[in-house]
Amino acid sequence: MNATVLRRRILDWVAFAFASLATAFGLFWLAWILWTTLSQGIAALSPALLTQMTPPPGSDGGLANAFYGSAVMVLLGTVIGAPIGIAAGTYLAEHGRHTRLAATVRFINDILLSAPSIVIGLFVYELVVRTSGHFSGYAGALALAMILIPIVTRTSDEALRLVPNQMREAAFALGLPGWKVTARIIYKAAASGIMTGVLLALARISGETAPLLFTALNNQFWSANPAGPMANVPVVIFQYAMSPYDNWRALAWAGALVLTAFVLTLNLLVRLAARKGSGK
Amino acid sequence: MNDSATMIGVAPAPPAGDDSAPVKIDIKGLDFFYGRHKALQDVNLAIREGSVTAIIGPSGCGKSTLLRTINRIFEIYPDQRADGEIVIDGRNVLERGYSLSTLRQRVGMVFQKPTPFASSIRANVGFALGHYERLSRSEADDRIEDALRQAALWDEVKDKLGASALSLSGGQQQRLCIARTIAVRPEIVLLDEPTSALDPISTAKIEELVHELRQRFTIVIVTHNMQQAARVSQRTAFFHLGALVEYGDTSEIFTNPRAGRTKDYITGRYG
Repeated sequence: MNATVLRRRILDWVAFAFASLATAFGLFWLAWILWTTLSQGIAALSPALLTQMTPPPGSDGGLANAFYGSAVMVLLGTVIGAPIGIAAGTYLAEHGRHTRLAATVRFINDILLSAPSIVIGLFVYELVVRTSGHFSGYAGALALAMILIPIVTRTSDEALRLVPNQMREAAFALGLPGWKVTARIIYKAAASGIMTGVLLALARISGETAPLLFTALNNQFWSANPAGPMANVPVVIFQYAMSPYDNWRALAWAGALVLTAFVLTLNLLVRLAARKGSGK
Repeated sequence: MNDSATMIGVAPAPPAGDDSAPVKIDIKGLDFFYGRHKALQDVNLAIREGSVTAIIGPSGCGKSTLLRTINRIFEIYPDQRADGEIVIDGRNVLERGYSLSTLRQRVGMVFQKPTPFASSIRANVGFALGHYERLSRSEADDRIEDALRQAALWDEVKDKLGASALSLSGGQQQRLCIARTIAVRPEIVLLDEPTSALDPISTAKIEELVHELRQRFTIVIVTHNMQQAARVSQRTAFFHLGALVEYGDTSEIFTNPRAGRTKDYITGRYG
């Protein structure tokens, strides 16, 4: 074996070893986090979780109001944000594709993507909570929508740009107007990509704590009306995990487990849907 | 006579004898720009009704570009521009005021790669029908069947019209695209290298189809395959470097080209 080949072999081996180590390092922490969440969370799981309200110190309870509040705000946030995000992505990929404005919007959107969520929380606090005079589930949903919009914009933009130009040309060559081409042909071709983006964004906002801290606050009691302060899982976890009470900390673990399981399931569903979408 | 036809191994299609046929598309002084790059230079070409006109030439000679000006599909890209006239039935279709919808209903186009939409076979063919005409469900079904029959695809798909168009083979998808194009009853059909992504059997089917379709449509086909041009067309135009070099009966072009460049190209000296 000559020197060059030997050198390449060694380099290859070293690179492979480093890559494997880096992967193992990342996976180690992930496994640890999941394991702790799982073991501590399972111990705290009980039917009361879904039927009882968050308890005051010293008594038993569940997380029913927090689950409900989170579901309402996440869904509301998605319903507000997803259409705006998809519309913005459509503008970027279809109508404004070749314009400087679109390039600028795309750049700013990328900045928004990485904006600290606490800043968005404070923004909505100033915008809604201070002007209306009280915390509310609507303000929480709005803050979540603001986190979701840039993600959906980005993923829709990319999904639409993946649709080959030939398909646009073929559709335009039939004489259809632009909106019909987009609505009936391009959206259909990009549907699984756009849906994936929306679901991933939904998973992302369901774990957000900071924006809800300043907007929805929290609520110890059943709070069906989003016009007032609303209980939600992330803030409850935040409060209870730091508390000195054992039953509160157990509830926080249970909440963390359910949230993690939800996000994981959603991600798996997205994978499945994407595979089905591309494999037909 | 230097017999180029034997050199490329096929007998050319019989002469069309259609010099009396009226001119359907009259291209006059056409220039085309991609940004600053001039891709077509002063093209003058009269395409006759009811015949197949082949456009041949080496890569980058502007043959696809020419096709893309006839239905103005290039306009979806902002930095592309055409100057000059393309007169179809007495009106310059490059005029701003000419309705794109009308133009594209009259001038259909089939692309290099099959481009089925992500929906059922029936929806693909029926897609544009509703845009141009008010049809009842049964009328639309008739038109779809008619188009699929003309595209020689009906027998293969009649039992699965609801199936996804993406489940068809490449050759079937291309015939589906042809069906989709002729469903709106155009007068002119543009074919942009329609068989370059297909296997030989599918190619033969498309070529047969072109023969059939000539009865009802004026066809312009761009091809880099000279045997194909010789087999399917009555008239051939040879392009080089953005200019029309030679245009005439296919049999003339392939057996007795006038320009040296044409002869060099069809005998495979470059391309």
